[in-house]
Amino acid sequence: MAPDGLKVAPTDRRSSTPWPHPALRSREFVLAILLAGLVLVAGVLEPRFVAPKAQWLLAGHAWELAIVALPMLLIVVTGGIDLSVGSTLALSAVVLGLSHERGAPPALAAALAVGVGGALGATNGWFVARLKVHPLIVTLATMAAFRGVAEGVSLARPISGYPDSLLWWSQGTILGVPVPGLVFAGLAVATAFVLRRTLVGLWLVAIGTEETAARFSGIPVARVKQGLYAACGACCGLAAVLLVARNNTAKADLGTGLELEAITAVVLGGASIEGGRGNVLGLVLGLALIHETREFVGWHWKQNELNLIVIGALLVGTVLLERLIGRTRRPRPEPVAASG
Amino acid sequence: MKTAPFALAVGLAVLSLVGCGEKAAAPGAKEGAAKKIVVCLLPKKKGVPYFTSCSEGAMEAAKELGNVELIYDGPTSGDAADAVKLIDQWTAQGVDVIAVSPNDPDVLAPAMKRAREAGIKVITWDADAAPDTREFLVNQATPEEIGNSLVDAMAKDLGGDAAKGEVAIVTASLTAANQNEWIKFMKARLPKYPGLNLVATKPSNEDQKLAFSVTQDLMKAYPGLKGVFAISSVAFPGAAEAIKQAGKTGEVVVTGLSTPNDMRSYVEQGVVKSVILWNTKDLGYLTVFAARALVDGDLKAGATTLMAGRLGEKAVVGDNVMLGGTIAFTKENIGQYDF
Repeated sequence: MAPDGLKVAPTDRRSSTPWPHPALRSREFVLAILLAGLVLVAGVLEPRFVAPKAQWLLAGHAWELAIVALPMLLIVVTGGIDLSVGSTLALSAVVLGLSHERGAPPALAAALAVGVGGALGATNGWFVARLKVHPLIVTLATMAAFRGVAEGVSLARPISGYPDSLLWWSQGTILGVPVPGLVFAGLAVATAFVLRRTLVGLWLVAIGTEETAARFSGIPVARVKQGLYAACGACCGLAAVLLVARNNTAKADLGTGLELEAITAVVLGGASIEGGRGNVLGLVLGLALIHETREFVGWHWKQNELNLIVIGALLVGTVLLERLIGRTRRPRPEPVAASG
Repeated sequence: MKTAPFALAVGLAVLSLVGCGEKAAAPGAKEGAAKKIVVCLLPKKKGVPYFTSCSEGAMEAAKELGNVELIYDGPTSGDAADAVKLIDQWTAQGVDVIAVSPNDPDVLAPAMKRAREAGIKVITWDADAAPDTREFLVNQATPEEIGNSLVDAMAKDLGGDAAKGEVAIVTASLTAANQNEWIKFMKARLPKYPGLNLVATKPSNEDQKLAFSVTQDLMKAYPGLKGVFAISSVAFPGAAEAIKQAGKTGEVVVTGLSTPNDMRSYVEQGVVKSVILWNTKDLGYLTVFAARALVDGDLKAGATTLMAGRLGEKAVVGDNVMLGGTIAFTKENIGQYDF
């Protein structure tokens, strides 16, 4: 038996480990099985669903969520959370729309959106890192505040009509791959690299595992957090540019509920909500599973409402399956089990 | 030792539970009148009585035609982004026709264009979008019909051809495009009833409270006021409430466009004698017939008529398929309608 998931599992090979190999008991493996099973079932029931053309088209619905989920993963790894991502996206989008309306060239408007997103994230970071307010409380407050400002400055009206150079960010392709997909791929590789191969990655895990200890070992905890929340905001700004380009409209209600979807994907991907554990591969598989399940359920049963129960069922299903595989609590000398 | 295969089996079992249950929809084959086609009907918002009523007519048409598989789905939140996802999904499925009632034409435009690029016929119904995003609009009523129906209903409520008295209009805002079109045709129709005298047109800015106070002011300023046209969905109940609270039920009548459910209590109390609306079931019915005719090639640029089952021959004006005809909900018939 050589399941698809094997090649993507963590690669610490110890010849003496009992079967099933720990890799087979990992969250990534479970997700890969579920994903493969879903694609199999979907391919039998709805052959058109698995066609590359359909998949590329439907993937367009997931890029913004995927891009926001990456920094969310890093924040969760530090033991934090950011509930304001949807509102940050909305306010960035409104800034893009308003500056475009006032004659800013598309590149400048997009840069402003990313910049404002970063500034909003930095605000979160300042409260979390410097004033040491719990991120749940900070971002719960800014979630409401940013959305309110977005509605206020735009008067809740849609701002439409962007030039092709902006729409390209969502509708263009390079070598057949949609631009947002490339943006996500680049960010995902960068995130995995930071988490797995850099000192900052070690710091993030250390902060999430035991913050006080991290501080005493000389890790610049406040600076790291400040930068992390700012980066998250900037990613929201980037996602806003892509979303506005996709819908050709900036509106204050964009990204509603995005925070919960992003956190769900992070948790489904195997990250611990208490911090210290999480990896990009798991997140990508989790995102893919959520996306494919949602699209398939909508496709097959043609009832939009069913989507509401899908994510809950997925979370429960994954945990159950993991139990069934007999996952024992693995000792984790190195808390990150990331690859790629 | 057998845990992993077991787990695999469980995983697949879980997924097949998710997967099975309903037959896979056959992707509709193009061309040929006998071939079954898939028509997707997208409302602005799923689950609201107005659109449910439209969908009933659409289902009736699909059943009658026999060669149309109808999919009625839409965002329960009324969120345009969700509507986009549905359009994309239908595009990927390769359905034959997507009929859109756009809740936000700008947001939906890129998705509608993607669908057209994929060779799917896209039409709008109930509300229109940019002309390059769709081939036809199934138009429920022209401004002229609406204007005429409103004036005729007012005249009928005030005693028929011999109706006498001062009337006023409470509109949405003075710049509202739809309302201004209607007002234009109302003014053209009013001379048919020489006893009716239009004394004022006041804005209510889509604000029910403002409509309430504007109507109060009108009744004070024009003691001979007999009728109010309240021609926005929020102005209508606002004006009706003002008349009711002034104790002028029966003395001053108000009419406008709305759904039966929204105005039912005022109709039953006698504050409102007629509520005007197009026939929502017929709108859904005609949309499905238009979709079928579009695939069959019977409805194409330059066509002037469309045969639509029990509705008979309907006019096609430019790229508009005209439903035409309005119904007046009155105390006598409102009980038959539930939307």
